[in-house]
Amino acid sequence: MTRYIIRRLLQAIPVLFVVSVLVFSLIQVAPNNPLAVYQNNPDISPEDLERLAEQYGLNDPLPVKYLKWLSQTLRGDWGESLMTHRPVFDEIAERLPNTLYLSITAFVISLIVSIPIGVVSAVRQYSWFDHITTTLAFMGHSVPVFWFGLLLIIIFSVNLQNPLAGTFLFPHPAPLPLFPGGGMVTLGRDAPPPLVDRLWHLVLPVAMLSVVQLPQHVRYMRAGMLDVLKMDFIRTARGKGLGERVVTYKHAMKNAAIPLVTIIALEIPILFNGALFTETIFSWPGMGRLFFDHAQRGDYPVLMGILMLSATLIVVFNLVADVAYAFLDPRIRYD
Amino acid sequence: MLSKSIQLLLSVTLLVLVAIACAPAAPTQAPAATTAPTQAAAPSVSTQSSATSAPTKAAVATTAPVAVPTQAAATPKRGGTVTIAYSQEPPTLNHYIGTTSAMWSINAMILEGLVTLDPDGNFIPNLAETLPTKENGGVSDDGKTITFKHRKGVKWSDGTAFTCDDVVFTWKAVMTKESGAASTVGWTDLDSITCPDADTTVAKFKNLYSPFLALFRNPIMPKSAGDPANMQKWPYNRKPIGTGPFQVQEWASADHITLVRNANYRDATAGKPYLDSIIVKFVPSVDVGLNLLKSGQVDVMWNLSEAVLPTVEKMPGIKFVSKASTSSERLVLNLADPKIDATPDPLNNPHPILGDLRVRQAMQLAINKQQIVDTLLFGKASVATSDVHAGWATCELKSSEFSLDKAKQLLTEAGWVPGTDSIRVSKGAKFVKDGTRLRLKYQTTSGDKLREDTQQLILDQLKQIGVEVYIENVPSDVLFGTWASGAVRRHGQFDIIQFSPNPDIADPHSHMYQYYDSAMMPTAANKGAGANYSRWVNKDADKAIEQAGGILDLKLRHDLYCQSAQLIANELPVIFLYNRSASSGYSERLQNYVGYNASNPDFGANAANWWLK
Repeated sequence: MTRYIIRRLLQAIPVLFVVSVLVFSLIQVAPNNPLAVYQNNPDISPEDLERLAEQYGLNDPLPVKYLKWLSQTLRGDWGESLMTHRPVFDEIAERLPNTLYLSITAFVISLIVSIPIGVVSAVRQYSWFDHITTTLAFMGHSVPVFWFGLLLIIIFSVNLQNPLAGTFLFPHPAPLPLFPGGGMVTLGRDAPPPLVDRLWHLVLPVAMLSVVQLPQHVRYMRAGMLDVLKMDFIRTARGKGLGERVVTYKHAMKNAAIPLVTIIALEIPILFNGALFTETIFSWPGMGRLFFDHAQRGDYPVLMGILMLSATLIVVFNLVADVAYAFLDPRIRYD
Repeated sequence: MLSKSIQLLLSVTLLVLVAIACAPAAPTQAPAATTAPTQAAAPSVSTQSSATSAPTKAAVATTAPVAVPTQAAATPKRGGTVTIAYSQEPPTLNHYIGTTSAMWSINAMILEGLVTLDPDGNFIPNLAETLPTKENGGVSDDGKTITFKHRKGVKWSDGTAFTCDDVVFTWKAVMTKESGAASTVGWTDLDSITCPDADTTVAKFKNLYSPFLALFRNPIMPKSAGDPANMQKWPYNRKPIGTGPFQVQEWASADHITLVRNANYRDATAGKPYLDSIIVKFVPSVDVGLNLLKSGQVDVMWNLSEAVLPTVEKMPGIKFVSKASTSSERLVLNLADPKIDATPDPLNNPHPILGDLRVRQAMQLAINKQQIVDTLLFGKASVATSDVHAGWATCELKSSEFSLDKAKQLLTEAGWVPGTDSIRVSKGAKFVKDGTRLRLKYQTTSGDKLREDTQQLILDQLKQIGVEVYIENVPSDVLFGTWASGAVRRHGQFDIIQFSPNPDIADPHSHMYQYYDSAMMPTAANKGAGANYSRWVNKDADKAIEQAGGILDLKLRHDLYCQSAQLIANELPVIFLYNRSASSGYSERLQNYVGYNASNPDFGANAANWWLK
């Protein structure tokens, strides 16, 4: 097992190298030049532009640029943003906690809700409960997220008022929206107590993110359970005279969890990337917007930082998924 | 194993591709452009008369009904917090590194220059006591040496005194090669800045520099800001020290900047600024910002487009201000033969169709500009007539006439007669063989809805007089690109292109010179420098513009720019369409909120006078 893990980690090195070359070249061929914002400005002379291009190293040939980036990164220096001139590491470190706070909350809630729903709707296949949840899952799956987010804002942040406005929980006098339409905390005075304020701001973005994730998880869990429930060992368990409760929750659920664990492990790296739509609609200062804003300006040091971080996470969690497999299913061996 | 690696590669590649595809092309001179002329800061307005300053002769008409400054009738109340939503986050607050319009607007509440502009774009003193003139001894006889007497007792927000050394430092910082300053225009023309005493700045230019006031409108940096060679990494860039009414307390990226009262502000004794704090809240889209404005979660929404003003108008408790910005949408007509790469001699190589003035006149006559304003901009913009329509150089020109009959007659006179279909063909036209179809290429930036809608209207309008245009839009990078990238605009390989530059409100000179002087045609010889894309040659205009650039008297300069604007209107190297407005929406409880004629929505310059009812 240890040898297997070491081998996989060593294999990751060439993979990450190829990824970095590929990603770097792709960013460079994109038509977004960091100096483009200056180009139309008549008060920035061609000499100024040339001086800046030289200073930013934009005139270097592609391989030189790449090698500069590589040697810097290998020394542990993530470089500096060409837009803000702050260290890339600081830019990411500032946004990552915000993103994880939102995405992990939504992820956990989605799992807590979806697993029981999936199990029940599999056990009672074709019951009214199954029909309703399946229909809702389909609807949730096909609704355009952007539209759904705006709908949430219009209903809960513009139309509905907070009945507790003016109380100690929400000191701000009415009118106060039922839930805030953006941001992570209340700015300025009349802010609710910190914990209330945080949760209050979390409600709508989490609702929006969950709508994306929930149907998927429900459907995975339901399908997994259905497969397992048809298996011979379940019939054997029932034949031994075990109660339905024990059969479902002890024997079936444990086996149905295997595919879900893989899915979860592979979804974790995505949590780090942030959710661009949700962050955009709810003014959430997360990783998705960091990437998007800097992509628009061709700020390659920041883009490389984010993409390499996410590539590394994907590699690592792929390995974690495979290892977890071996633990869950003793038949799987990696020797 | 191998398949897993490939899968991984593919997924990451896909991620990048999606990101790149999603990213709109680089910001350009589109309506909500992020570029801004570097000499157009609007540091805090002097306190006497900003809120109610009467429109001067040079002031341009405002476009919106609600754009009346609030009368300071009630006594201002002290205290309170105002939240302003910005749909754009500046990468830095260092004025000399950044150029985004959001930065200008935020800095207007924090930083100040020696002079500034009032809401109508006229110069007023700021850190200087008076505007230097020959009469008050501020300008030397040869016009090259300028003396600024400072206002007494001005302090930086950190409590240290503002002195002439800070002005010297600012100049040196910009001129330090490693500092990474975005623009050195104007600063390179300085020979020296000397300090006879702490409260006097003497700037000596190498040659007479007519936009000197605009240059000293740029905010001054304190000499404590840092080492110029290291300017891009200063902590100052995220927490600038200024002399303005507010100072930065905190900046949480992509979320907000908290500004708090500067206790050392010079009018602190008068209770200013009235507000305790201003929160600059970054929202990722205008829709989101409007919802926040509507539900009272923000008090001001910065930079609204004309299209959303009717919605804002209907919001209860919300008002908006709207004044003309310097940006005006226009059709740039190529007067030179597009088949020749960047000809330096357009007079002998005229455009086969557009080279004839009568065709250009006919096109202008056929375009119903008011209809464009009414249908596409909801009547919230104005018909454009020239590039000097806002600020002290404002020149009131008549709007062009709309007459299909006259247009048709002119085309017939010019040798363009109706062909077999409704489109005209040449028969005795000046520069083409008989039988040529009157067909022109019409380009603008792709993906801009307002521009594309405008194109459709103009296409229909021109068709009515038998002019056929076909649309071939390109990404803004292609249209606005560099000489080296082969941009059609610079190489003169186009018929009609539509866009709007963003001239400097503080001084029109660099714009007028770059866009209309015959020396400024992009050619191989000058490596595509200059912006006279029409390749318009007019010796009288050259003379007027160059003369205006060689004198300091604002009144005389105004007349000269007006002369050249009239020549442009006569000869039509460009057809002006509409002026974009600088608009913002705000809550009724916010008092003394004033709109500015601006290159950017610089409303923050009056922040010291805002108060909450």
